[in-house]
Amino acid sequence: MANAEQIGGGALLVWEIIAHSFPPRLDGPETWRNLYRVGVKSFPIVAVTAILVGGIMVIQSGTYIEQYGAYGLLGWGAGYSIFREVGPIMIGLMFSGRVGANNTAELGTMKVTDQIDALRALAIDPIGYLVMPRVFTMIVMMFVLVVVGDFVALLGGAITSRYLLGVDMELFAWSVITYIGLHDFLHGLYKAVAFGFAIAVISCHFGLGTKGGAVGVGKAVNSSVVGSAIAIFVIDYFITYIDS
Amino acid sequence: MIVVENITKYHSGRPVLDNVSLEIADGSNLGLMGPGGAGKSLLLKIICALVRPDRGKVYIDDVDVLSLDEIELAQLRFRIGMLFQNYALFDFMNVADNIAFPLRQGEKHTEAEIEVLVKGILEEVGLPGIGHQFPNELSGGMKKRVSFARAVLPEPPIMFYDDPTAGLDPVTSSKIFLLLKEMRDKRGVTSATISHDIQGIKDICDNFALLERGKLIFFGDRDAIEASEISIVRQFWDGFSLDELG
Repeated sequence: MANAEQIGGGALLVWEIIAHSFPPRLDGPETWRNLYRVGVKSFPIVAVTAILVGGIMVIQSGTYIEQYGAYGLLGWGAGYSIFREVGPIMIGLMFSGRVGANNTAELGTMKVTDQIDALRALAIDPIGYLVMPRVFTMIVMMFVLVVVGDFVALLGGAITSRYLLGVDMELFAWSVITYIGLHDFLHGLYKAVAFGFAIAVISCHFGLGTKGGAVGVGKAVNSSVVGSAIAIFVIDYFITYIDS
Repeated sequence: MIVVENITKYHSGRPVLDNVSLEIADGSNLGLMGPGGAGKSLLLKIICALVRPDRGKVYIDDVDVLSLDEIELAQLRFRIGMLFQNYALFDFMNVADNIAFPLRQGEKHTEAEIEVLVKGILEEVGLPGIGHQFPNELSGGMKKRVSFARAVLPEPPIMFYDDPTAGLDPVTSSKIFLLLKEMRDKRGVTSATISHDIQGIKDICDNFALLERGKLIFFGDRDAIEASEISIVRQFWDGFSLDELG
């Protein structure tokens, strides 16, 4: 029953977001603040995650590559899994844990300290002022972070393949360019946009619904991170099925 | 005129406001008293339609507030200023931006005018030069004064003050009450003030209401409250306790 209530609440928020999108109105300063907070400040952790993920992909496939001498497929193997699955998912989970959790905590704290009521008392619609900039920036930045993260991951894979497997970086790059299509790259970006939207909706929903002081904020953050993770995998399943 | 009719609100099956009815005449200040948890802050939030009651009506200038949609409510709220009990300052803005926020949203002033107005109100509440600081750097009393400044600067015709002097020293409290009185006398602001500073309320309010456990125990003017023989009213008005309240 509680889960149904949360899903219903999330659906209502999605409806409000759609209603606020026509015509689109975003508060300028709040949007810029969130672009910086969500995107710029996430780059370091995403870059570290991506470079390690790329290396891990190469290490995992390294044994079989060496066994069959399929060095020319190393780039393809790493690139295919990074672009289509591992890149968006790992960056999505990192994004949810960092940005989504922070978003829920901020909105939750605002809720329990009457700041949301203060906005409404000042005739400011909290959905328009707080939620819409967050949804916009989280979709945009998830997209950008996955694009950058994918290429950083490939770089990590190339470096690992060079120094652990002795595969030239040129061969790695050739394999990626020859065997990976634009469709594979776009597949991951569809997921990035969907993940960004889901994380934004879920984190805002739990944040705005926080009750019960500091303890409530903690519970909301926990629910937000778990809910976002589940949403990432469910969305991933459906996009993979539809786009394959 | 603000009219509150039979407001009832339940929480976990228990009435936290039980059939409360009162009026606030134009240009007058209603003093709201009562023990903690009596429902005073909740009543103010219901009047602003920040919280919906389970029963009852609220009229502001003959408009049924609770029947308005969000756009109409937003228009109404431009006319209402609210000083929250917990300050409700926006953590991600500095003091100057917090105070300027309603003016910027109203789009009636230039940035230069807003800067002058913000500087002026900060001096008025005894906090010159702190515009660059953030709420987490302020004491409770300072936060209360910044919250007050933000609420009154747009000069709304209706004001609700939830414990405006909590955490303030006697001198600053006195100054704040003088400002409240000035708002009523010079600007004709219609207001309601919640405070445990009974002497302060006595000085600035025209009518008085006392809530206890969600029920309206008393509502009337100064003469009526002076003559009231209800025990809890006497305790609050005269400032002494008879063992347990009521």
